[in-house]
Amino acid sequence: MPELPERKWTMVVNLDTCTGCNACVVACHAENNVPIVSEEEVVRGRAMHWIRIERYWEGEWPDVKARYIPVMCQQCERAPCEPVCPVYATLHSQRENLNLQVYNRCVGTRYCQNNDPYKVRFFNFFDPNFEGLLKEQLNPDVTVRSAGVMEKCTFCVQRIRRSEEQALVADRPLRDGEVVPACVQACPTSALVFGDLKDPESEATRLVRGNQRKFRLLEELGAEPQVYYLQSGHSAVNE
Amino acid sequence: METTHDVPIWRRPPPEDTELSHQLEHERRQHLLLDPRYPLDIDGGVLKPMYRHTWRFWLVTALLAGLVLLFGAIWTTQMILGLGITGLNRPVMWALYIVNFVYFIGIGHAGTFISAALRVLKIEWRRPISRAAETLTVFALIAAAMFPVVHVGRAWKAYWLLPIPTQREIWPSYHSPLIWDFTAIFTYLTCSILFAYIGLLPDLAMARDHTIGWRHRLYEVLALGWRGTEREWANQETALNVFSYAIIPVMFSVHTIVSWDFAMAVQPGWHSTVFGPYFVIGALFSGAGAVIMALVLIRKAMHLEYFLRDEHFDGMGKFLLLLSLTWAYFYFNDYLVPWYGQEPVEKVLHQLLATGSAAPLWFLMIFCNVVLPWTTLWSRRVRTSIPAIFTISVLIQVGMYLERYIIIPVTLGRNEFPYSWGVYLPNWPESLITVGAFALIGLLYVLFSRIFPMIPVWEVYEGQVLQGLRRIGRALVPTKAEPGD
Amino acid sequence: MTAQRISRRDFLRISAAGAALSVLTGCQNPRRWVTLEPFVSPPEQQLAGVPTWYASTCRQCPAGCGIVARIMNGRAVKIEGNPAHPLNRGKLCARGQAGLQVLYNPDRLQGPVRQEGRGSRQFQPLSWDDALLSLVSKLQAAGDKVVFWLGSTISGHLYDLFQRFASAINAPDPLVFDLYTAFNGYPTLIQANQGQLPAYELGQADVVFSFGADFLGAWLSSTRYGIEFGEFRNQSLGKRGYLVQFEPRMSATGAKADRWLPLRPGAEGLVAQAIARLIADQGAGPTDRVERARALAADVDVGSIAEASGISAEELGRLAQIFAQYDRPLAIPGVPLAGKDQAAGIIAAVQVLNLIAGVAGQPGGQELPPAAPGLLLKRPAISSMERVRQVIDQMAGGQVGALVVYGANPAYELPDQAGFAGALAKVPFVVSSTPIIDETAVLADLILPDRTYLESWGYTVVTPGFGEMIVSSQQPVVGPVFDNRSLADVLLAVSREIPLAAGGLPWADEVAFLKESLGQLAGSEDPERFQADFQQHGGWWQKTAPALEAPETSPEKARPLSPINFLGDEQEYPYYLHLFMPTLLSDGRGASQPWLQGSPDTNTTISWQTWVEISPVTAKRLGVKQGDIVRVTSPAGELEAPVYLYPALRPDTIAIPLGQGHTDFGRYAQNRGSNPIHLLDVEAGGAGWVTPRVRITPTGKRAALATFENQVGVTEGFINEAFPGR
Repeated sequence: MPELPERKWTMVVNLDTCTGCNACVVACHAENNVPIVSEEEVVRGRAMHWIRIERYWEGEWPDVKARYIPVMCQQCERAPCEPVCPVYATLHSQRENLNLQVYNRCVGTRYCQNNDPYKVRFFNFFDPNFEGLLKEQLNPDVTVRSAGVMEKCTFCVQRIRRSEEQALVADRPLRDGEVVPACVQACPTSALVFGDLKDPESEATRLVRGNQRKFRLLEELGAEPQVYYLQSGHSAVNE
Repeated sequence: METTHDVPIWRRPPPEDTELSHQLEHERRQHLLLDPRYPLDIDGGVLKPMYRHTWRFWLVTALLAGLVLLFGAIWTTQMILGLGITGLNRPVMWALYIVNFVYFIGIGHAGTFISAALRVLKIEWRRPISRAAETLTVFALIAAAMFPVVHVGRAWKAYWLLPIPTQREIWPSYHSPLIWDFTAIFTYLTCSILFAYIGLLPDLAMARDHTIGWRHRLYEVLALGWRGTEREWANQETALNVFSYAIIPVMFSVHTIVSWDFAMAVQPGWHSTVFGPYFVIGALFSGAGAVIMALVLIRKAMHLEYFLRDEHFDGMGKFLLLLSLTWAYFYFNDYLVPWYGQEPVEKVLHQLLATGSAAPLWFLMIFCNVVLPWTTLWSRRVRTSIPAIFTISVLIQVGMYLERYIIIPVTLGRNEFPYSWGVYLPNWPESLITVGAFALIGLLYVLFSRIFPMIPVWEVYEGQVLQGLRRIGRALVPTKAEPGD
Repeated sequence: MTAQRISRRDFLRISAAGAALSVLTGCQNPRRWVTLEPFVSPPEQQLAGVPTWYASTCRQCPAGCGIVARIMNGRAVKIEGNPAHPLNRGKLCARGQAGLQVLYNPDRLQGPVRQEGRGSRQFQPLSWDDALLSLVSKLQAAGDKVVFWLGSTISGHLYDLFQRFASAINAPDPLVFDLYTAFNGYPTLIQANQGQLPAYELGQADVVFSFGADFLGAWLSSTRYGIEFGEFRNQSLGKRGYLVQFEPRMSATGAKADRWLPLRPGAEGLVAQAIARLIADQGAGPTDRVERARALAADVDVGSIAEASGISAEELGRLAQIFAQYDRPLAIPGVPLAGKDQAAGIIAAVQVLNLIAGVAGQPGGQELPPAAPGLLLKRPAISSMERVRQVIDQMAGGQVGALVVYGANPAYELPDQAGFAGALAKVPFVVSSTPIIDETAVLADLILPDRTYLESWGYTVVTPGFGEMIVSSQQPVVGPVFDNRSLADVLLAVSREIPLAAGGLPWADEVAFLKESLGQLAGSEDPERFQADFQQHGGWWQKTAPALEAPETSPEKARPLSPINFLGDEQEYPYYLHLFMPTLLSDGRGASQPWLQGSPDTNTTISWQTWVEISPVTAKRLGVKQGDIVRVTSPAGELEAPVYLYPALRPDTIAIPLGQGHTDFGRYAQNRGSNPIHLLDVEAGGAGWVTPRVRITPTGKRAALATFENQVGVTEGFINEAFPGR
């Protein structure tokens, strides 16, 4: 295999245009074979959605506002969940700056979830139940996780791999926008942008560089998350 | 009183002076080591109860064994169906199993502390209780070591945490506190078993010499040919001394490392530098209480009133009070700093404990761990009253269990994202497994007590030989000879 | 028909070959050095581990988005938006993606079934031959008294066939009615816009006033409006559009609005009229706008509207100024349920604002699509509620001999008060073609399960096309999962046996008919080649000059609106009822798909359930807490559901989502939640149904809400625990 270039995959989330439509959530379920848990399990706090839209209420009636924040694995450069895993089931890909999750290494100590400040890791409390024909919809590129295994957003690493291989076969560099995780692909308002921060020309770099609106979640913890959020902007209309 | 050293103490005539005679009577009642008996009587006092199998014994054994089998059945079900049968949920990924783990490791601390530390400090009253304490350590550690395996999602893969070369060609990650934990506990368990076993050797030989049949053959093998030569005694003494010194730092390390499972995490309420010593003291506190409970139970069940006297419960009670004071000091430390810092999530946690849904647990814990020991244990009458000290010890277990419960599932329910908070309620599978783990310790203890001498005869005998009373003026003063020096 | 017939397999082959060459969906073979060739290549030209993409059209709502389905080893594993499709430009909403679970639903029927005794749920399988024979004999017996009840997501060619069949046997024109279109006010919008659904192009607007239109939720085309909204917020030169939303309950659109104004339910039209009046009176903004405002604005009293709507006069004045001042303002009329009896008036009042602004009929404003191209291309004409009521009356009067239901579920979608179930009992023969047994199928005699849209042929004339003429193509992306026949083939087969119909439907099969219909589009192009391109790229489209004619200005627009009628006495029923369509389940057709059931609703994060939204203010007054089960009673019906405390809701209003309460429709939908549609009443003679007032009674029971967010954490936690004083 030829040497693949260093990357810094990042996601930029424009909170101004996230409409909370859940297209990303369903896209992620479809792409990554994330099981849907039953009503009883949701009540017990075991719902699984690798990407979720957190809705926060602000203010009191009648000046109420609802804010949407899509939260997925932040792919931290210094991820707190990584060192605590005793079996290297979660580990860092230095080349791509990805927080990898190796399902078949996981024994399910669930330490990573405790040490995950963003709470984006999901544990399979039971075996996933794809009833009847629903098994046919499973994406063969992604493992179906068994009970007792931790899972989380991978930035659709299977798509990254496929695109890199395609570029390698064509003997050309990977183009910006060629790797599109399922959530980014689906997002109607294009609130999600995916790209390589090592590429100075990429859309993601352009959005992040010098942007006054950008912030990262719990930046003070020093985990160096690789998901950038852009705050809501302001219109010219005087309020 | 004139003493002649070549006359064995039990052959000496009682003093003629009535006052001295009363004082001697008093001292004998009080102190085991000043109340010597014929070696055969002592041997018999320890060995005879091992043969007693009343219907009570069988009932207790059957009950405990039933609970242990239930443990196994539920665990099997859990492995087949998944951890979903417990009450675990998304933010609260660690709950009762880890509470049990920490609690039982804590229990495992007292045995060694009493045995090793008191031995190093040459505190003589420890002699008859060291076996009971060491045994508790070993069994509690076995129960504790089980829980990480019960806890993990894929228990059949738990051996992947062991640093053994396999076809997987992946070594466990030494970045993970869990592996430090494993290392520390494994070391401690090995040391504890060896320490207990070395101390057991002369008694096994004694039992071998007094028994026939399967017991004789068992003791013959286990005694490793102990004959009681000078050289053997000297070697045993050296080994015990080395272990006593070496095992103390190991013991401190174990619960410190257990605390690092939490303190190393970014979870608010866990990320605290005081956790190490605080956990060690907490472990000793609950452990000492557990030892008292064990002593009360074997004293009652095996009629060991001769060996286990007020002085032991008095000493352990003082020890308990001291630990309660120290524990409170560290607990205060653990609260004051975050409270002063007013970090939002820490504040939420404090509110949760002070006035929120966890307040009943928190106040019950403070009552059991602080209020109760502080108001009662200063009194010798309470310390030497068996029902009172037993009740207090049980409540301290409750308090310390609650403390671990508050640290683990209650704290995990709060984090930086209110969206992902959670409330944990134990479900029946993990509750029954917890009961089963207590039953397992009980069962092992009951079976052990019928096979191995629960009182270290040689230690008692040695103490009685070394300890004496010397008359100075009108008073009898306990004296002690130093062996070997 | 002279052209050589192309079989389904040939079509797939052509499409596959085309797709393999095309870069549009990124489908080159990525692993040339490790290509695994199976011994026998399956018919779909699949190679193990190599995905193939097929373009088609989404049928989860009537919008007509282009999709591409990713096929691995003959199985559809992912649906994405078709990047070449001009309507949705590669994007796709949650419902569109969940289409896989329509295809692979575990509760799909595997062949035709007959029900002995309606409602018995005892379904006996029978062969297709027997089923068709039975259908033929029953239809023959019914003569011209056959009613075709169709859903709005029907493919154009199938609608065409139904129409032809109906006219051949002299039956009335098919009825097109489903809750999605009815609830979203399609009939009224179409009526107000010269028979067309308008497009509101937010993309370049400065200011958008939305009068209860949840266009980011489940209104018209949520995907396209999502794209428009993204552009609206990120316009060139850093311009960011300003959105004002008027609605009693904060929808997803309201949450994204810069200004959310909770007006009294049904006051949308009044507010629009007040704003028009204020533009005329204040005289702010360009003179032409002020002049138009003076000509068009109704004579209303702003003060009394302020009182009636709950929006202060100052606020209205400010809004009027904003609307008049900026270059590109746009007003969007939602059709909130409360306004149904005056929906036309409300839409007209909002339309006036666009006329004043000068954006009606303009690109980048309110735009009307051009007429559908090609004579033979059909798009379903949405029926009015009056027609629905007529048909129900006919059914009840025994004037209907057979009812054929396709793509609709009237037994679930109509309020009890409409009397559909009772009327149905009078129809001698009912046939449904639902792939999953639904509420209507349970009342049917024969069920001929159609292939799902991912296994079928078709086309959709996309309206509105947002400035383009679009005919979106539909083709099977996988082979049929079960031995189910396409309904078009069933119709053609049946028509051969009915002498009257045989002449009207001379085609051998569905593909032949479709080819002939689409041949209209080919123009000078080779029809074979056109067909291949059409299927491969997902349709046919061309930029058109947008229809420039402004919506008609009728004198009605200048007439002040009267207050909205609500059913029920104000004393007895103190609360307004606001029903809304949730983004995921929409009108209930999503309920059979676990991805849509199990994904959290955006604002409440509830999945799998029906809930009643109550303002915390009202809840305090009623003494109910989150999770308490309350009984909601309207003059027409009642339901019980747990309370969710919704901070962004008027205290005088309660809101309930549609979508649950199925008594059938597969294991994921069945016996779950309640259907609030039964709280509504159908008013005799009105344009639709009327909204009732309701009362709430606590039942004393509690239920665990299946929220994804932690309820302690978000609704109580930080506020109550961290800041108990607040």
